[in-house]
Amino acid sequence: MHVTVEVVGEETHDVSVDDDGTYADLVRAVDLSPHEVSVLVDGSPVPEDQPVEVDRVKVLRLIKGGAP
Amino acid sequence: MNSLRLRTDARDAILAHAREGALTTPPSEVCGVLGGRRASGDDGADTDAVAVAEPVANVAEDTRTQYVLDPAATVETIDAMEADGHDVVGFYHSHPESDPVPSRTDEQEARWTGYVYLVCHPDGRLNAYRFTGDAFEPLEIVDAE
Repeated sequence: MHVTVEVVGEETHDVSVDDDGTYADLVRAVDLSPHEVSVLVDGSPVPEDQPVEVDRVKVLRLIKGGAP
Repeated sequence: MNSLRLRTDARDAILAHAREGALTTPPSEVCGVLGGRRASGDDGADTDAVAVAEPVANVAEDTRTQYVLDPAATVETIDAMEADGHDVVGFYHSHPESDPVPSRTDEQEARWTGYVYLVCHPDGRLNAYRFTGDAFEPLEIVDAE
């Protein structure tokens, strides 16, 4: 299936995944690591091991860190 | 592009937010999104300029020493900023109990290459950096109205 993947603050990609592909597969397809991002569908985070059920997602590179 | 213009009211908002975090028990890091104009924008500006600073909830496991901008709230904030005509310039967070400089954790976790990371302390100190992809490049903060 074809999915539009918008990487917030960067580019939007058209990605093809298998019909049983997961959101993690979409993330890897745009050269990001599932551990470094949150995938959002209609504004809500989705589990990355969940099968893709939509044709458009946003991927947010997590903004995080902390004091020493 | 080694300076950052920062509007006075945005600076005040950032520090007020930092002071709120410092008053919790234990003190907590606060964070948010910086909006304004990026130097690469169409208007030809050669310096990033921060016009607004919007708080976003810190959803880290230990907010005393960590920060994670709430993902859904971050996207919502960015969408609202862009609808208002602002670019996302970068992000801010506070160090309520240590100096406002990027920690090793900050360096390891940074992912927004080219964007500004501003670190502040409730006592009024702020430092800004551009993440190059490998390191934080210091920026001189220039006050702007």
